Amino acid sequence: MIIAKNDLPGLLDKLMSEYEVYAPVKEGAYSLYKKIKSGSEACFGYVNSKIPPKGVLFPQSEKLFCYNMTGEGAKLEECIDSGKKVVFGIRPCDAKSLLLLDNVFNNDKFRDPYYLTRRENTLLVGMACLEPAGTCFCTSMGTGPFDKAGLDIMLTDIGDAYLVEPVSEKGGALAAGLGLSAAGEEQKAAAAKARDSAEVACRVNIEGLKARLDANFYDPIWERFHEKCLGCAACTYSCPTCHCFDIVDEAVDCNGCRVRNWDSCMFPLFTLHGSGHNPRPGGKERMRQRVMHKFKYFVDNFNATACVGCGRCIKNCPVNLDIREILADIQGEGRSDK
Amino acid sequence: MRMSKLAQAIRDAAKKLLEEKKVDLVVGFAKGSLPLRSTPCFIRKPEEAAALTWDYTCENNLANYLRKREGKVAVVAKGCDARSIVTLIQENQINRDNLYVIGVPCSGMIDRFKVEEAVDGREVLEVEDKGDALVLKGKGFAREVKLSDLCHDTCKVCRHGNPVIYDMLAGEPVPAKPEDTFADVAAFEALSPAERRAALAAEFSRCIRCYACRNACPMCYCTECFVDCSTPVWIKKTPDVDDNIMFQAGRVFHSAGRCADCGACDRACPMGINLRGMTRKMVKEVKELFGHEAGVSLDEKPALSEFKADDPQPFLVKE
Amino acid sequence: MQRNPYLPLPMKLVKNFTETEDKLIHTFTFQFLSEEDEKSFPYMPGQFAEVCVFGKGEAPFGIASSPTEPGFLKFSVAKVGVVSTALHLMEEGTIAGVRGPLGNYYPVEQMKGKNIVIIGGGFAFTTLRSLITYILEPGHRGDYGRLTVIYGARNPGLLLYKDELDQWDQRSDIDLVCTIDRPVDGWTRKVGFVPAVTKEVAPSSENAVAIICGPPVMIKFTMPELEALGFKPEQIIMSLENRMKCGIGMCGRCNVGNKYVCKDGPVFTKAELNQLPNEY
Repeated sequence: MIIAKNDLPGLLDKLMSEYEVYAPVKEGAYSLYKKIKSGSEACFGYVNSKIPPKGVLFPQSEKLFCYNMTGEGAKLEECIDSGKKVVFGIRPCDAKSLLLLDNVFNNDKFRDPYYLTRRENTLLVGMACLEPAGTCFCTSMGTGPFDKAGLDIMLTDIGDAYLVEPVSEKGGALAAGLGLSAAGEEQKAAAAKARDSAEVACRVNIEGLKARLDANFYDPIWERFHEKCLGCAACTYSCPTCHCFDIVDEAVDCNGCRVRNWDSCMFPLFTLHGSGHNPRPGGKERMRQRVMHKFKYFVDNFNATACVGCGRCIKNCPVNLDIREILADIQGEGRSDK
Repeated sequence: MRMSKLAQAIRDAAKKLLEEKKVDLVVGFAKGSLPLRSTPCFIRKPEEAAALTWDYTCENNLANYLRKREGKVAVVAKGCDARSIVTLIQENQINRDNLYVIGVPCSGMIDRFKVEEAVDGREVLEVEDKGDALVLKGKGFAREVKLSDLCHDTCKVCRHGNPVIYDMLAGEPVPAKPEDTFADVAAFEALSPAERRAALAAEFSRCIRCYACRNACPMCYCTECFVDCSTPVWIKKTPDVDDNIMFQAGRVFHSAGRCADCGACDRACPMGINLRGMTRKMVKEVKELFGHEAGVSLDEKPALSEFKADDPQPFLVKE
Repeated sequence: MQRNPYLPLPMKLVKNFTETEDKLIHTFTFQFLSEEDEKSFPYMPGQFAEVCVFGKGEAPFGIASSPTEPGFLKFSVAKVGVVSTALHLMEEGTIAGVRGPLGNYYPVEQMKGKNIVIIGGGFAFTTLRSLITYILEPGHRGDYGRLTVIYGARNPGLLLYKDELDQWDQRSDIDLVCTIDRPVDGWTRKVGFVPAVTKEVAPSSENAVAIICGPPVMIKFTMPELEALGFKPEQIIMSLENRMKCGIGMCGRCNVGNKYVCKDGPVFTKAELNQLPNEY
């Protein structure tokens, strides 16, 4: 099937009658996934968004429940969002990140109803990456610019139209309902050609990385990586796989809401005990945690690396601390002057 | 070419300082991993000094790495870094005797967001330096942009490109610039309260509370930042516009008379929020009220650290 | 779908008891509001729960009551933060929230048939009280061998559960050794630090399990004494504390290596901890 580019805004408008539609929207020099009010707001001329679309399923801030105290006791009201959603134009790396987050929010003992309800009600319409960025290293992280994993539909830009390939059953049903015209052989060939020309130039070698991390917790190598790190959350808040959060009450007297907000392992407060003791007291321990969590602990627990190679942490870091260089250093491939 | 000469002078100085064991550490810049990026680096061996570099991408304020350091440290300091160093010395965060300042006259850093805007958000993969212009190249495009058009706003109005303190100066001083007119702040002040509120809300609705601004600021070094305080909770942790503005307002008030308008906060912000709109308003207030500019002289007391009988007291009820 | 693990169970505070002389630790007794609520909260000694003060927030505390004590839950809480301070000020009769039970528990099944050595210090005696009460339950006592309890505090006023300690002292099926750091007039029991008292009491490691909870410094110095007595890392059980929020292995802060204290712990054997980094 194909969608002519001219028809896309109209099609998004049509989708919006049934779904909340999230699509990349231009914000100055960058793009962000936002809930669109009109199909014409969406802008697909992006490499990738500044902040990943994980927030559609795991918002930076969300109410878990609201409460008020009445004469009879506490009245609780769950805030589960079961609205039907479409993320339109999600990149394959970001779709892959959601498969990873599924492990966290549906672990061996507990299910997170907030994330999982949204997840069940959200369709992912992917956009193949024809021009991966210089900071992309997705192909080294088990995904790639045309990876369909986790998607319901995959779109490929073929000039004046998008080739539409249903991936999942749900995606097939969605596509079937849109009344799209069939793709011709020429259009399929154009998509194949576009794919051939796309290249992820950057490689990160993670072969044997896990084995090294298994053994190097106390290695002096960790003394160096954090030295220039400011300890902000620009990396973790722009990471599609980071899932750490804080829970706080926002209330007046005894009435209010319990809220969860993204939190970051790079903040000292994250692990500070009430006694004043901090198991990860410095930049060294916190940087090690970030690397270990993604490339060792997550592998231990879910047999997958918690990095999809989107490169956002590299681009957004105020001091140009580059995860690729850290990994290369751990692998013994790094330059010692960095 | 001038840039590469400066870089060489810095490398030579760092190597010599380390060889002669005058310092244990040199904090400077190395080439970054992306086009138009450099990165703070920490050099401890003379032979590593070759990694040091200098150009218009050395945007971070290295004074941030100097507080409460053990041992003797040398730092590569441009004009704004040097002003922050002065203030930190005054605040007893840096021991001047243990610091060696390699001053670098600075004619301005480039603004990464201006670069992105110049190429419509496309990715710059390669840069050709033509002296007063850069050719920004990416997949299927090459755009020549004047260096002055990419210059960060803070650098455009900076009058202290030449470090106010140094132990050696790399290169020649840059020419003096006219007085800052604060035209941007005046334009903001001319707005109605509702318009000002709307303007701030538009900026700060994009804040993700990553605290890169706070952490990039050499002056933000409280053990517990007011945003993290739980008793009492000064501001909500949820990033909504009102609390985002409160966070910035708190930050700005806390750096009154201490902020050198170095722009480190602004440059650190991944969301490209104009943070200097607020910081500069405070810089202007302090200058107008107390005639004080932060970190310009070691001998001049910070505005909020002394009281003069003729200090303006506009907060008092008129008699 | 499973119950929403973030929703607290409303419970009534029926007793707010000042446990220690310095008034910094209170013991809170919460009553289930219905039988159904109680059924939804099946727990074991060693588990913890998030206790919430509506309007202030929630914080994790080990459950001090035993499942053999129906109808209520007990928590002994030190006044350190926002939630614990609000709890201390809470009037009896107020409705609070309890979310749990969370975490794993002391391996009471594997401990059957063995001699039990329980070592506690300071106010880290809460889940140990739960365990002792569980073992002393007539229906359970026969499942276990000798029960030795060494419990130390800085001074007599800082010991928790003083009435129960006196009762236990009268029983023949529990060897209770209470100790304080420095002599005090009127104190007739042991004086000395927990590690030294452990050495003196010298419980046998033969067919035994040691459960140890206390301040880091006590653990650090008691561990070599247990090793000297022949306790192997597999025979030593500890309960960790780390800052927690979700309690269900998702919010990411309480991990020690690849284990979450909240979900995979808080109870670990020393052998398990030896495999993990020291981030606790």
